[in-house]
Amino acid sequence: MSAVAPHPEAGAFRAARSPFLWLLEREIVRFLKLWRFALVGQVLSALLFVLVFGIALAGRIDAVGGVPYKRFILPGLVVQAVFTVGFVNGTTSLFEARHDGYINAVLASPLRWWEINLALVVGSIVREVIVGAGVLALAGPFVGLGFSRPLVAVGALVALLVTGAQVGVLAGAYARSLDDIYSIESLAVLPLGFLSGIFYSVDRLPGVWRTLTHLDPLFYFVEAARIGVLGTGDISAGVALAVAGGIAAALTAWSLLVFRSASTLKP
Amino acid sequence: MALAVRGLTKTYRAGFTAVRDLDLVIADGAFFGLLGPNGAGKTTLIGAVCNLLRPTAGEIRVFGHDHGSREARRLVGLAEQDVTLDRFIDAEEMLVFQAGYYGLSRRDAWKRARELLDQFDLSAKAKSRRSELSGGMQRRLLLARALVHQPRLLILDEPTAGADVELRAELWSYIRRLHGAGTTVLLTTHYLEEAEALCDEIAVLRDGAIVARGSADALRERFDARDIGELYLRVLESARTTAAA
Ligand SMILES: Nc1ncnc2c1ncn2[C@@H]1O[C@H](COP(=O)(O)OP(=O)(O)OP(=O)(O)O)[C@@H](O)[C@H]1O
Ligand SMILES: [Mg+2]
Repeated sequence: MSAVAPHPEAGAFRAARSPFLWLLEREIVRFLKLWRFALVGQVLSALLFVLVFGIALAGRIDAVGGVPYKRFILPGLVVQAVFTVGFVNGTTSLFEARHDGYINAVLASPLRWWEINLALVVGSIVREVIVGAGVLALAGPFVGLGFSRPLVAVGALVALLVTGAQVGVLAGAYARSLDDIYSIESLAVLPLGFLSGIFYSVDRLPGVWRTLTHLDPLFYFVEAARIGVLGTGDISAGVALAVAGGIAAALTAWSLLVFRSASTLKP
Repeated sequence: MALAVRGLTKTYRAGFTAVRDLDLVIADGAFFGLLGPNGAGKTTLIGAVCNLLRPTAGEIRVFGHDHGSREARRLVGLAEQDVTLDRFIDAEEMLVFQAGYYGLSRRDAWKRARELLDQFDLSAKAKSRRSELSGGMQRRLLLARALVHQPRLLILDEPTAGADVELRAELWSYIRRLHGAGTTVLLTTHYLEEAEALCDEIAVLRDGAIVARGSADALRERFDARDIGELYLRVLESARTTAAA
């Protein structure tokens, strides 16, 4: 061990490259290193649904409201894939960082609390976009793409990307053990996905199920995406987008508050 | 002043007060040893300085800046007692990103990372992850990580825990040279002789309060102790008696 470092001058903090960009890059590098699971695996599991339900079983399942079944389910499957990816990314990244303590390196650095929050959220969004685009690109040719109402589709997508990322970051901030994460995943994320009307139209459901579906927050994202792609849905585009956007905004506010107070990040 | 802590209290959520109304001033350029038994509050004090926990009360300034400001954070380097290394990326990337969190350019970050890997004899392990490093290598990497941004105040929380005799000697001599070049060092360790040899001032912490402070020589005289080990025990003994009275 040789060489002894000199010291920088004291004074106002100046960065040659933004610490935020560095942390964002770390977030992206993290999941790229896990690409088999983080990207390929998650695109594949969504594709399996498309293959099994949309293509193999297509002959046995009627068209919904005149739309071929495989086309009917694709928007919802993309919603579910993106949401799951957001959840998984935020929880693993932030929970492991807290659990192993290496979040301390970030907390002690000049990064500001909102930069840390934003880097985690944007990092998740990048992964969501890659997986969502992968599903669309691979399933599209079988199913037939095309956006009937592109603006609604874009609105649904933005709300979905933000919501998935924030749910993951919040779960990662609050979880005390891996058990907590697995519980949320199997008791909330999975059922919410299945009850959100991905595979059925609520109009066909008996009353109780219809009510349950309407109580499922994901339902509004699935509807908004479906309206964007197919042009029609079970509820109006305005309602779907308003609820989805409201959820995204509320989660963002909550997430920012958690990082500002650092109540779960610092003892 | 490198560090000025005033009235610091930390009560954890469970209701346990680990540090109570503590004052501590460390001069620029000092080599300061913080001693004390397990659970005395050393790591808690350090965590408060480095923004790793939320102090219950008190004020902390680093080279005159509030400890939460980016100016202050920029000037502090911390090697934690626990091995808090990123599990997802390799040793070199850990140093590069750490440099980035302190605002270095991409080129400087890589240059600095390579430099430090070389200095800490880790170049062969540049592409290894945390789980592929031995305990001593992890310690070295932690110290290297604390140094990427050339801090003026270096805080070392038991930097030689788990290090073999040879590595310990190397680390001490490296730290001594950093200090020689002008780095202020705050050190906690349970190796009392080494603390005595290195530090120009020591403080003994017990139950979250400083019970003695001064140069090792002056304290030995005051407590009529032959060596640092005896001194340490007498300080704690006398603090216990005072607390009981
Ligand atoms: N996150 C926490 N929640 C509750 N209590 C804590 C927490 N961290 C530390 N403590 C308590 O605070 C006290 C001081 O702990 P601290 O880690 O500061 O001691 P220390 O002097 O560094 O000890 P050691 O020499 O063992 O490292 C201990 O009683 C410990 O149990
Ligand atoms: Mg400790």
